[in-house]
Amino acid sequence: MSEVLLEMKGVSVKFGGLTALSDIDYSITSRSLACIIGPNGAGKSTFLNVLTGTLRPSIGSVAFRGRDIGGLALHRISRLGIARKFQIPSVFPSLSVAENMDVARWGAAREPDETDVLEMVGLSARRDVKAADLSHGEKQWLEIGMAIAASPKLLLLDEPTAGMTSQETQATAALLHRLKRHTAIIAVEHDISFVRALDTDTLVLHQGRLFRRGPFSEIEADEAVRDVYLGRR
Amino acid sequence: MKHRGRLVALAAGTCVLSIYPAFADEYHLTVLRDALLFGLFAVSLDFFWGSTGILSFGHATFFGLGGYVMTLVTMTSGLPAPSVLGLFAAVGAPAALAAIVGYFLLFGGVRGSFFTIVTLALSVIAQQLVISWSSVTGGDTGLLGVPPLALGGYEISGAMATYIVVAVTLIVVLLALRALEQSRWGKILIAIGDNEVRAAALGHNAPARLTLTFVISAAVAGFAGGLYVAIAGVVAPDLIGLLLSTEVIVWVAIGGRGTLLGPVVGAVLVQRAQQEISSMNPSLWPLILGCTFVIIVFVAPDGVMSIAERSRMLLRRRSA
Amino acid sequence: MEAAVTTLLNALTLIGILSLVGLGLTISFGLMNVTNLAHGEFLTVGAYAVYFTQSFGGSYWLGLVTAPLAAAIVGCALEWLILRHLYEKPIAAILATWGASLVIQQSLELVFGLGGKPVLPPVQGALDLSVAAYPAYRILLICIAAIALGLVLVLVRRTSFGLDIRTVIQNRTMAEAVGINTRRVYAIAFAFGAGVAGLAGALVSPLTTVLPQMGVGYLANAFFVVIVGGAGSVAGLIAGSTFIGGLTSVLNYQMSPSLVQAIVLLVAILIVRVRPNGLLSTAGALR
Repeated sequence: MSEVLLEMKGVSVKFGGLTALSDIDYSITSRSLACIIGPNGAGKSTFLNVLTGTLRPSIGSVAFRGRDIGGLALHRISRLGIARKFQIPSVFPSLSVAENMDVARWGAAREPDETDVLEMVGLSARRDVKAADLSHGEKQWLEIGMAIAASPKLLLLDEPTAGMTSQETQATAALLHRLKRHTAIIAVEHDISFVRALDTDTLVLHQGRLFRRGPFSEIEADEAVRDVYLGRR
Repeated sequence: MKHRGRLVALAAGTCVLSIYPAFADEYHLTVLRDALLFGLFAVSLDFFWGSTGILSFGHATFFGLGGYVMTLVTMTSGLPAPSVLGLFAAVGAPAALAAIVGYFLLFGGVRGSFFTIVTLALSVIAQQLVISWSSVTGGDTGLLGVPPLALGGYEISGAMATYIVVAVTLIVVLLALRALEQSRWGKILIAIGDNEVRAAALGHNAPARLTLTFVISAAVAGFAGGLYVAIAGVVAPDLIGLLLSTEVIVWVAIGGRGTLLGPVVGAVLVQRAQQEISSMNPSLWPLILGCTFVIIVFVAPDGVMSIAERSRMLLRRRSA
Repeated sequence: MEAAVTTLLNALTLIGILSLVGLGLTISFGLMNVTNLAHGEFLTVGAYAVYFTQSFGGSYWLGLVTAPLAAAIVGCALEWLILRHLYEKPIAAILATWGASLVIQQSLELVFGLGGKPVLPPVQGALDLSVAAYPAYRILLICIAAIALGLVLVLVRRTSFGLDIRTVIQNRTMAEAVGINTRRVYAIAFAFGAGVAGLAGALVSPLTTVLPQMGVGYLANAFFVVIVGGAGSVAGLIAGSTFIGGLTSVLNYQMSPSLVQAIVLLVAILIVRVRPNGLLSTAGALR
């Protein structure tokens, strides 16, 4: 039985005269995997910032398990069970891989047991390496690992495969499918091959509006979506 | 490896401190004792600056406040155990001030240069207040005759006794702060220093942790100030002013920021140099201090001890 | 009535001085993102320049011209020798400029000797303003400061160099892309700010005794002007000066100067808490 985990109602965000998001209704149930796509400037980052509460919507509300989270302090949002992986890998360079994971676990409201997350993301051999010395791809994995470490209820991923090889991209898609048994996941992505590999509920943003929503196969076949991507609309 | 190295250094330092009285006369013992007290003060600054990366440019405010509070409490007649009460106040008052400053600045998102400037102003103001409020503080000349430490009717005075108190206190504080830095607390602080937004996104309350670190740092500074005035017997505005605030930065920078032990070494060495230079020409010291600031920044940004470490690594690489 | 007018004129004097001193800080702090703790010394150098000129029989007016030049030269040297290498290292810049500040102070003491130096004002006596009599020199000071600030505004808003500065403030990479030599803009802007602080030093010199340490007192206040007003804009600078200068003058009428300093600091901290980007900022919705 899956409950509604997160619900956006009539959300608009304006920066001065610029409308970044307009009138968005969206919800996601627990243990599901959704993907958000859209051309540059479509409002994907704003969408994610609203979801994480970093940005309070100008109009409308965002509720996480029935509780309004608009404008809550970052660490409080995190303690509710929303984890976020940033676009630019932002691991803690001065700490080792294992210490990075520790800091992630310690932040959770109820501290989870040490799990084999490092194993899952393929970094168990690099435990004692300083995060600063990891390769770009490894940093991305560590990021994802840190996001899972606190066993969140909702995991938000901002371009999780940026800078990865196509092999790593496929592996990441498989990893997310495994993870959705434990947590709901929303991924914002640019790379269509990754979205295709995910093959899941997909949301298309265009000019700040919710343009289409449906399974990827439908979205991919949609002429209007293609037009958006090719800049014909 | 690095951690073990520091523990060895601390053990070596303890040995030096315990042997020193056997070779030194009373005068040199008191000189080292005073230097160590300022070393304790330097440790307090390093605990905050080293672990958070935020520079307090007015740390003497806390040292001096501890000193003045200690003076006022111990000079009030009729109190039971005045030294103990005084030291509690010398710790409590700066801690409370730091909590207020931290609440307004650190919770307000003030970081980096802004924090540095506000704390600098804090030190300027504190000194002015102390000078102008002469009925209580003794104004420009300060107050003479601060009673020595007393515990249960036994007075701790004399070079040897005070030296031992200072040395033991210093070692205990160093060990405690080191343990704190290596605990979960310290790791999270490093994470906050690396990337505060990320740490907050993981559920850590960064402003609260930074403020508490600042409070602990101020409490240690105040404790050092309280001990200092009781042992020196005087309190004066230069204990709270901008010049001391900046000198302590030099001690920490020379000894190596974030090493805790380094600042003690820095404090002892720099004060030794200061005495030598001032005895030749008193107005030369600020000039040399100023040059030192500039030189550190360009030559040894990680402290003088790091030069030793670097050259050792270089040697090892060559021999390998 | 008399007290009100006197307080108002006192406030204007202070606001004028603070704006001139703060200008260089808003340039270095807002434009270049470096904290220059040696900024107070530009004011000191300006004051000494007037003293030096007068000690050779030169007039105050000659001093008023040499002061900004002397301070600008010192500023150039500081930028070239130290700051230029530390733009990416904020804490290093703080330490190095503090060191430079000590060196400048002590050099002034070595060259000119211990103790305060007197500077004679160009005009003596008081001006009768019908409701109150006010020192003529102070009124002159207010006028000169106002003219200087007006010229700065014209320079920033109407000249191509001002345009360069504003471009660099808004987007350094962009400015470089359109061919602005940002290094040169930085250096000139920095020296310009130093020169204006030197002018402020010349203006205050007849009001106090000229001492090597006189700049430090202005440093803290000028920083608060910039922080309270919001770094990087002339309007913010004037707003901050008006706030700090006004509050100080009003309170000075009732209590001791050091208590006033403390209160002004506390209020400034409160403002920083409520409006971290300065009084004039409109950003408040973004967390």
